[in-house]
Amino acid sequence: MLVVRDLRKTYGTTIALAGVDVDAAPGEVVALLGPNGAGKTTLVSIIAGLRRADSGSVTVGDVDALAHPQRARELLGLAPQDLGIYPIVSVVQNLRLFGEIAGLRRRELDQRITDVAAALSLDGLLGRLAGTLSGGEKRRLHTAIALLHRPRLLLLDEATTGADVATRGDLLGVVRRLADDGAAVVYSTHYMEEVASLRARVTILDHGTVIAKGPLDQLLAAHASAFVEMVFDGPVPAVLLGDGVTVEGSTVRLPTADPGHSAAAALATIGADASRLRALEIVEPNLESVYVTLTGRRYSENAPEDADVMAS
Amino acid sequence: MSWRVSAAIIRHEFRIMLKDPSTILFILFMPLVMTALMKPLYQSALSARGVSGATGAEQAVPGMAVAFAAFGVGFSGFAFFREHGWGTWERLRASAATSADIMTGKLVPAFSLTLIQMAALLALGVPLFGFAVAGSVLGLAAVVVAVTLALTAFGMTVTAISRTSQQLNALGSLGSMLFGIIGGAFVPVAFMPAWARAIAPATPTYWAMRGFRSVTLDAGGLGSVALPVVVLLGMAALFGAIAAMKFRFEETRIYFG
Repeated sequence: MLVVRDLRKTYGTTIALAGVDVDAAPGEVVALLGPNGAGKTTLVSIIAGLRRADSGSVTVGDVDALAHPQRARELLGLAPQDLGIYPIVSVVQNLRLFGEIAGLRRRELDQRITDVAAALSLDGLLGRLAGTLSGGEKRRLHTAIALLHRPRLLLLDEATTGADVATRGDLLGVVRRLADDGAAVVYSTHYMEEVASLRARVTILDHGTVIAKGPLDQLLAAHASAFVEMVFDGPVPAVLLGDGVTVEGSTVRLPTADPGHSAAAALATIGADASRLRALEIVEPNLESVYVTLTGRRYSENAPEDADVMAS
Repeated sequence: MSWRVSAAIIRHEFRIMLKDPSTILFILFMPLVMTALMKPLYQSALSARGVSGATGAEQAVPGMAVAFAAFGVGFSGFAFFREHGWGTWERLRASAATSADIMTGKLVPAFSLTLIQMAALLALGVPLFGFAVAGSVLGLAAVVVAVTLALTAFGMTVTAISRTSQQLNALGSLGSMLFGIIGGAFVPVAFMPAWARAIAPATPTYWAMRGFRSVTLDAGGLGSVALPVVVLLGMAALFGAIAAMKFRFEETRIYFG
């Protein structure tokens, strides 16, 4: 349903996308992971025809989306990163506008509004002014607008950012069901735990490049290992440095197959430097450790642009 | 372009307009108040210029209608800027609506509002202020439509070159004030200094007032408004062309408040 090949985009001298390949088949959720500035929003915006690519290709269905963005837009639904609703009209009027634009008419539109409102717990709020909704309710309406017309390709850019637990659960459930019904979903997120609940295939972006992609279990098997992370007040004790050890400022990460034993051994080794130890964390194999293995950095929303040191 | 999609956006725009009718009330009732205040002044002025039988309504009613229609140029711009403020601009752009659908959906309500405003003020001017069309009513209607087109296109030009809603507000207000004053909507051009009389024809309000005068004081027929209507349509085309060249759908606009 979606095929992106060698997509490139720069803003001035900043490289946003440096040759990205992404695929999303019908029935599949592709989770785009990556810190701020990784290129997720630029990628989603280009697919949706909101920004122009410098080069590469984007195919939505059988439509060349770069040459015919309007035709591609008829096949997709987008929930942008920033909330986009009309606050001074009602919830149902928000939904009705975008339903009519998508070509839904009369009974079909009414039925879709009923369905999407029920799925996202908006059914008791249809007559309310959108601007009077709570933050979570606005986020549900924002997403409901994107999937009202049951697009063949759904683009969700950080759809659950700022959402409460209940809203997040509702949104993830609806997205998974839409995929089960045959839609392809591209789901940009910072939340690694959402990937498993969506049963998504993962694409990890870093500095505009795809650094890993595939099913979650394959990525974990290929790249994930447990590690012990220690944060010091001041420099990392030299005694901890060794093969595969990553140092980032005052933080050291020790890859290990036996994290408990390694943590105890590290504490015994640092001696008096233990007084400068401010935090110790054992990170089990997961997407976080995949990211650390591939980039040398912890994944966070405000991840630094570059790792300081890759110790050897 | 799909008329159904455009119609959906048009309906939505009218719905938003009606949610906050303060603007509509301002452009309808303020001109009536101003007309009541200014009419005696215009009657004296027209008499002093040797226009016999003038009531002052011939200047006051169309003058205030045009001047306040010019104030409305910013309103069409806000229809675009508020989409950015609400985060819905990208949603519209990513929808099945074409650029033409969006433009039509935004501009038809702005054009209609100005048209309804002018028509209502002229119609109310008859019973309230004794406004009379001695010449062609069709000519009067032609001038109203032409000046509304010119002002809507000017509003779009201001929107296209503004990056923030503050710029839109400032440029729109400046333009409409200049149009109202220099174009003779507030003060008849004949009473203005020579330099102002020289530049007055550059404004759409000048040509609108000239057209209105033709069918009121001069009792002219449809042919008497041909030149004003053609010039106004030319201005509409010029402003429209500038707007089309300058407006960028992908550009981010900043909306304050």
